[in-house]
Amino acid sequence: MQVIDWNIIIKEHGPSVWKTAYRLLGNRADAADCFQETFVSALSFCRRQRVRNYSALLARLATARAIDQLRRRFRQAQSKTDFMDCAVEEYDNTGPYEQAERQELADRVRQSLSALTPQEAQVFCLRYLNDMSYREIAKQLGISTNSAGVLLHRARTRLRQSVEFSTQE
Amino acid sequence: MEDKKDIMEKAADVLKNEKIPPGPSQELVNETLARLAETSEHPETIQLGSRIRFRERLRAIHHLYKVAAAVILLLVGGYAVGRLSAPRPPDLKELQAVLVPAIREELLDEINENLQSSYASLTDSLDRKYQQDLNRVGMQIMAASNTVTNERLAELAESFNAYQTQERQWFTNVLERMESNRLQDSAVLSNALVTVAQQTKEEMERTKQDIVQLLPYTQPVGSTPD
Repeated sequence: MQVIDWNIIIKEHGPSVWKTAYRLLGNRADAADCFQETFVSALSFCRRQRVRNYSALLARLATARAIDQLRRRFRQAQSKTDFMDCAVEEYDNTGPYEQAERQELADRVRQSLSALTPQEAQVFCLRYLNDMSYREIAKQLGISTNSAGVLLHRARTRLRQSVEFSTQE
Repeated sequence: MEDKKDIMEKAADVLKNEKIPPGPSQELVNETLARLAETSEHPETIQLGSRIRFRERLRAIHHLYKVAAAVILLLVGGYAVGRLSAPRPPDLKELQAVLVPAIREELLDEINENLQSSYASLTDSLDRKYQQDLNRVGMQIMAASNTVTNERLAELAESFNAYQTQERQWFTNVLERMESNRLQDSAVLSNALVTVAQQTKEEMERTKQDIVQLLPYTQPVGSTPD
């Protein structure tokens, strides 16, 4: 039985989990929920099997939980502006137009990610947001490297179509 | 295409480079730790996976019922068809008369094959054993001959050393004798030389005296005839 000091693990990996959650969800409240759910999932995972790479595991779990939350959010069809954090915008030095454009694009990507299958979305986020290699992604998701490549390709294609479509709108 | 790629990459970059407030807050960390502690106190919440697995197993078993029923039906049908289409039991004596020679012949063939194969394997193993023994004896002989050769070589080296020592001693003696002879000869020679020198000196003295005695009888230089 593995003895785990969660205090140390949260101290060590908490910031990266927070970043992953916030980047995908875009607001504090959801990111905080996702943060907690990630560590609870990690606890149940640790009971089932031994963990060798906490960083990768937590990145995967945080991404998965965040995507679940995104899907719930967009299923409920709530307004996009409800999820913006005004406090964060104060740090940005870009102009208001650029800022709004970026925010809009980010929300569009989030919405598009929620439309992908969970596995596709996870592969995309782990690759582009967490900079994981195909091999690491495959290992974390329990699939072959080729499958990871195929999923990533599909995710990219669908995301591109979705982002392009919403831009034309 | 390039434009599409740009949109895609831009979208990923926007998400990746989005400003993120520092976190998690201490409050969130404490809440998470409390939730973890609470979760670890209630193992039944963790057993969800195994419950799901059990439920899945039940579902799988439910699906298997149909397959099992189909298999049983097939078996029963097959048995019935086999039973109905089976030929009548043959006459035992006739069967025996047909089977015994065939079995005997087959047995003989098998025995022959077995014998041949065992003979071949026996020959092989004997060959191997013979070669092993031969190798072992050869190695023993080699070892013994090596030992004897080494002993003989050691003896030869010893005798050679003794002979060399004797020869060196004899040579040293000869050299010593030659040296003593040389010293003796040089002493005799020096004595003789001293004697010769003394005699020469004495003779010279005597000659000088004779010359002095003869000097008055000699004519002066000016009275020599023109």
